[in-house]
Amino acid sequence: MAESIFDLKHVRKRVLKDINLSIQKGERIMIFGPSGSGKSTLLHLFNRLEDPDSGQIFYYGEPIDSYDIPQLRKKNGIVLQYPYLFPETVLDNLKYGPSLFDEWQSGNEDKLLDYVNLPKEYLDKPVDDLSGGEKQRVSLARTLANQPEILLLDEPTSALDDQNIESIEEDLMTLMDSKALTTIMVTHNLHQAKRLGTRGLFLADGMIKEEGDLPGMFDQPKTDELQKFINVN
Amino acid sequence: MERDVSNFSLLVLIVFVMIPFTISYFYQLGLKKDILWSSIRGAIQLFLIGLILTYLFNLKPLIGIPIMLSVMITIATFHARKKGKELPNVFMTVLVGLITIEIIVLALWLSFDMVSFTPEEIIPMSGMVIGNSMVAMGLSLERMKSEFETNHGKILAALSLGATPKQASHLTVRRTLNAALIPNIDQLKTIGLVQLPGMMTGLILGGIEPIVAIKYQLVISISIFSSVSLSAIIVSMVMYRFFYNQNMQLVDFQKIKNG
Repeated sequence: MAESIFDLKHVRKRVLKDINLSIQKGERIMIFGPSGSGKSTLLHLFNRLEDPDSGQIFYYGEPIDSYDIPQLRKKNGIVLQYPYLFPETVLDNLKYGPSLFDEWQSGNEDKLLDYVNLPKEYLDKPVDDLSGGEKQRVSLARTLANQPEILLLDEPTSALDDQNIESIEEDLMTLMDSKALTTIMVTHNLHQAKRLGTRGLFLADGMIKEEGDLPGMFDQPKTDELQKFINVN
Repeated sequence: MERDVSNFSLLVLIVFVMIPFTISYFYQLGLKKDILWSSIRGAIQLFLIGLILTYLFNLKPLIGIPIMLSVMITIATFHARKKGKELPNVFMTVLVGLITIEIIVLALWLSFDMVSFTPEEIIPMSGMVIGNSMVAMGLSLERMKSEFETNHGKILAALSLGATPKQASHLTVRRTLNAALIPNIDQLKTIGLVQLPGMMTGLILGGIEPIVAIKYQLVISISIFSSVSLSAIIVSMVMYRFFYNQNMQLVDFQKIKNG
């Protein structure tokens, strides 16, 4: 049996009601559902940007609050919905995470830009000069700079056009394959979930209404709610 | 020399008040009530403080000075905390900050014989230091809240990469300090060029030689400059912590914003 990374037991947080969930190493979980169903809140629980109001979260079998918070966040890197880049340059952003832990090694920047398909000339570019797609790529590279074991993605392509979505998805696929990254991604795009995920969680009204293998769960939804959600998306 | 402004002359000042009052009337600015009220209130406050100062100046310095300083610091604390009343521990931070600044300033003044320990010198000069520090603390609190609001996403990003609250707030603290210090530096740069500082003007009007007045002005200007800097530093360094909980998470920002 695969190693369990996260176990959530009776977790409640704001809109989330009684979430029970187990995530195994190497899985690519896609969390989808209507707005306000608690998808981002659920994602934030995995690296303690938020904590549950009640219930327990275990990380590698131990209570998640027994881990050092900065280290936990470094290992469980999140890419937020908007890039929120720091001043000034692309390089400053790539160095930020590793520098916090005195782990930045010059030379890393080329590899990181490669991961996200940006040319090396971008290193000294001010972040304000980047396009929306480029900013999100830098944000992804910045998270990867910390060498995370788990990648948490909060609708990273929601503000991008189709062309950018497609190329970032390709980068993500290559990354997930080459690094065997466990990935948990929030998306409102069902096609994206199909393309990228191995397991889907359908969240509605703060509850996991349905979960199953991808893309199979879209072909035969078990609940009316999921069927309706598929129809309107 | 004992020069005085006659009561009749004071009454003539009403003419000066009538100027903004008339402007408000003609342009329907809706400020008539405010103009009248603030003028009357200002005059009453000043006369009252005049009476209190006359009383305090007649007390022994060791009694009069601590009483007046305590009153000034308390009022300044209540006033500055309004700017950040939704944040925890703001009252204590401002109070301890103002007391610390006043102690440092007094120690410097008295150790190097810049000011003598008399109510006539200590009270007005401390008033200027405390008043300016109060404004600086209030501005720093407001600025810090707005920086946390504007940079909420960036702070979240920094935390998510493993930054501690101190590291994540670096930019916010820096901008708060900048905003508090730059006007202060600019003011010091142009001192005497645009307008003669209040204390110096007062001393010259009171018959003191300009060079002596300038020396006093330098003491107070540099003291204010350092106090304002210290105020911004104290507020920034202490208050950023209260934007986070013990688990290095940003506390509910809407709650802070809306109080």
